[in-house]
Amino acid sequence: MQHGKYRFIVGFLALPLGLYALFVVWPFIQSIYYSFTDWTGLSPEFKMVGFDNYSRMLDDEIFWKSLQHSLLFALLLPVVTIGLALFFAFMINVGGRKRKNGPVITGVRGSSFYKIVYFFPQVLSIAIVALLFAFAYNPDSGAINSILRGIGLDNVQPLWLGDPDLALWAVMAVLVWSTVGFFVVLFSAGMASIPAEMYEAALLDGANRVTTFFRITLPLLWDTVQSGWVYMGILALGAESFAVVQIMTTGPGGPDYSTTVMVLYVYQKAFRDGQAAYATTIGVALLVVTLAFAAVVMRLGRRERLEY
Amino acid sequence: MVVMPLLWAVMTSFKDDKSIFSSPWSLPDSLHFDNWSRAWTEANMSDYFLNTVLVVGGSLIGTLVLGSMAAYVLARFDFPGNRFIYYLFIGGMSFPIMLALVPLFYVVNNMGLLNTIHGLILVYIAYSLPFTVFFLTAFFRTLPTSIAEAAFVDGASHSRTFFQIMLPMAKPGLVSVGIFNFLGQWNQYMLPTVLNTDPDKRVLTQGLVQLAVSQGYKGDWSGLFAGLVMAMLPVLAAYIIFQRQVVQGLTAGALK
Amino acid sequence: MGSTSAENHGTEGVGRRDLIKRSAALGLISVPTMSFLSACASSGGDDSGDKAKAGKKTAKNPLGVNDTAGMEFVLFDGGFGKEYAEDAVKIYEKNFPKVKVKFSATQKIQSALQPRFNQGTPPDLIDNSGAEQMDMGVLSSKNQLTDLTPLLDAPSYDDPGKKVRDTLRPGIVEMGQLDGDPVWILYYAYTVYGVWYSQKALDSLDEQYPETWDQMLAVCEKAKKKGMAGWTYAGKYPYYLPFSLYPMIGKVGGREVLDAIDNLEPNAWKHPAVKACFDAYYELFKKGYVLKGTPGLDHIQSQTAWAEGKALFIPNGSWVENESANVIPKDFGLAVSAPTGLDSSDKMPFGTIWASGGEPFIVPSKAKNAAGGMEQLRIMLSEASSKNFTSKVKSLTAYNGGTDGIALTPGLKSGVAALDKAGENVLNPRMQDWYVQLQKEKIGVSGLGEMMAGRLTPAEAIKKIQGFADETAKDSSIKHYKHQ
Repeated sequence: MQHGKYRFIVGFLALPLGLYALFVVWPFIQSIYYSFTDWTGLSPEFKMVGFDNYSRMLDDEIFWKSLQHSLLFALLLPVVTIGLALFFAFMINVGGRKRKNGPVITGVRGSSFYKIVYFFPQVLSIAIVALLFAFAYNPDSGAINSILRGIGLDNVQPLWLGDPDLALWAVMAVLVWSTVGFFVVLFSAGMASIPAEMYEAALLDGANRVTTFFRITLPLLWDTVQSGWVYMGILALGAESFAVVQIMTTGPGGPDYSTTVMVLYVYQKAFRDGQAAYATTIGVALLVVTLAFAAVVMRLGRRERLEY
Repeated sequence: MVVMPLLWAVMTSFKDDKSIFSSPWSLPDSLHFDNWSRAWTEANMSDYFLNTVLVVGGSLIGTLVLGSMAAYVLARFDFPGNRFIYYLFIGGMSFPIMLALVPLFYVVNNMGLLNTIHGLILVYIAYSLPFTVFFLTAFFRTLPTSIAEAAFVDGASHSRTFFQIMLPMAKPGLVSVGIFNFLGQWNQYMLPTVLNTDPDKRVLTQGLVQLAVSQGYKGDWSGLFAGLVMAMLPVLAAYIIFQRQVVQGLTAGALK
Repeated sequence: MGSTSAENHGTEGVGRRDLIKRSAALGLISVPTMSFLSACASSGGDDSGDKAKAGKKTAKNPLGVNDTAGMEFVLFDGGFGKEYAEDAVKIYEKNFPKVKVKFSATQKIQSALQPRFNQGTPPDLIDNSGAEQMDMGVLSSKNQLTDLTPLLDAPSYDDPGKKVRDTLRPGIVEMGQLDGDPVWILYYAYTVYGVWYSQKALDSLDEQYPETWDQMLAVCEKAKKKGMAGWTYAGKYPYYLPFSLYPMIGKVGGREVLDAIDNLEPNAWKHPAVKACFDAYYELFKKGYVLKGTPGLDHIQSQTAWAEGKALFIPNGSWVENESANVIPKDFGLAVSAPTGLDSSDKMPFGTIWASGGEPFIVPSKAKNAAGGMEQLRIMLSEASSKNFTSKVKSLTAYNGGTDGIALTPGLKSGVAALDKAGENVLNPRMQDWYVQLQKEKIGVSGLGEMMAGRLTPAEAIKKIQGFADETAKDSSIKHYKHQ
């Protein structure tokens, strides 16, 4: 029996774990190793250089800028995205006006339609989304400034991606747009499974919609919110921010380094400057930041949960 | 706000280059279907389409089978190292793929899997496992244990219990995680760029970026938009068809 | 319950057998992998094993190409497209009928080829161009490139009495040297950089192309009154500005100023000529002569706005004629001019222009068939192939001549005229080949881009750029070059 159990466990785990170790874990360990070399990425020759790449990184101003922006992405994007998503999901599911003879708790009209529509951006590749918005942000003939002109705001014609004060926010807005739908659907599913009696009881107690949201919906959804937060933060630090910054921004990464993020810097060092070893060094820093972020959110989440 | 950019893209794909820039908001003067045929033929969209279906289909099945096996064991059995393996998988979600690209190339290359469809499938599976395991482990924990125990007492082996009883019960979870993986794998770009450089074996995203970059040099924006819309239609269709399952799957899995 | 399992029985059996097969297959895979795990991660492939044997050198085959060995050619698929290369490949295959050339074109040169360099199996000829251009300084210092001298000393394709090197435009061979004698790179295209404009638009203003800066400002003022901006540029990629700014600096202050800048000499940017030219460009912004929104436009968007007549002038290279062919109206009268100078006290005459090689072709040292790669280049450098390129993509090639007897497009014609006018006064700043990050991201985006958007004064921009240049000069992780 015991023997059978372990054979089963090993049998079931061997394949996925092996595949995972081979294609994911092992390459990752190797890249950490490269960060201690002077590998260019363009020839198989390299030698060990110890911590040179790491000390260089600490003196690298562009690295620090990219770190700042990445941290901003990781902290702000989940807050905004999840906040908006909670609001929309609440409106769809619980926010509707009470209709005659209808259930006490309903969504706004057409909520099932919204559930489909909100998910649209999620099915698009982030590269497509970025290209689309690069067009919309064109200050000369892009959609956004055309609208502004159309409603008579001829003097308000921002440079958007060309303005160092706006570019980062313009990029973030695109990321929010493209991810918020996923969380709306996720939270909607969660809210749908909260028993309606709980709301009814709260409403009978005289609670308004805002208080029901904070007293009932949010605490019950907290686990989902927290893992969504981690998931979004990881996306914002990694793949998504890369595609958007790379495709949309000046330079890319500009103007004047105002939008550069860590993944972009990794890419530029590895694929433009022939400094693959230094690129992996920054990559290791990115990993540390990501793990630290995940740990902090988990820890914070636990504390906040106790307050309820 | 959500639909408009998409409609705009569709509309733009029917315009000619000049009007895209001079009047981005107007409707096309006539429907320029030539953009579509140009994108379809010049960007080899038809070939790439087939490759993508093969790769995503293969890896989707593999991901679900392997992911559910690992998740089941991790969710239901106590053994030394269980937590470690679980967190190893979860940690994978935070590994930036880009960092591992070059070493990954060597691993794949040394195994002779470079520029092969099945090689790409194996890599896709490996990189889809973290999210799949994360999601399905939570799901398997929520399933009642009594049925499986009963089957086991009846003399069924562990693996038979899994395939005959647990997998059918996990169907909603499998469907929704399958859809997420489908979206992710369909849109995967970094992995094929490095591991699949043979022009004949390109997948759709590669063809699309090829198209996008070459439009950057040739100024054929209308063709680009036609290609963009072409690539997103099947995904949209898939989502609308499976929309109910996604929501159900999320209700069943994510909240627990 | 029971019935369910009975129904599922069949599929379960298959599933499990499938699974067993799978694990067996994976076992087979992982055995060699395990031994690999202990080996060095990036040990490249064996690089000497399967090189093609040299063929017999004959008058028709001076490079001794093996007439049965395969040849692989990877082209950057950019503004020039791939047709010209495909045509040249056809000639190669005609000359060596037993050979099938493996030809491919990509925009992501480094993504596609970096692993193959590491693996020791690069293709035989590469057009190393575009945004993902591989750093050729790194490639040459790591012994990854073949010296192209045998090609240059081989007889040319058209005239056995003439060496290839003697058929090239001046400066092409020197550009291919990084340090010392070996020639690592052959720049195939020949690009004329300068200020591009519509003759029709100038005519409508009743103006000529301005030779001094005062005239330039007058023309812009006149245009402004007609609701037209004077200038636009690729705001998101401000490293297009140097295409007219650098030769202007050279014209005002002399060649040495640009050489000092390329050599990263201390205070090279503090030369008065640099300041004067920066001031001049900044004035364009100050007086509102730059198209509104320009800093947010990419190259295509700015070229489109310019082609629509929203702006008169745009700094660009001769590829713009091909790249913007879809949006340039038929009666546009596309023309290029050498940059406007300051006044008559400039060190070099009006007409001083920046022209240099583009589209760098390299033959990797680990190529299996390096001779084949060079032979392909030799074919491309024939008069017929050069003419084919010029007529197809509206650009000149490294082959000196090759414009007789073909109908030149307006932009090309004006480019040839500008070169004639320049005569000896051709400048060739190397910053963009030698120090990509410095040129694009630092000088371009953070320096010039900020200044032209009005966020830096010329003095601040110069101070910032000088700081960047000093940093690069000190950075030991970057390879440094000097003008010979």
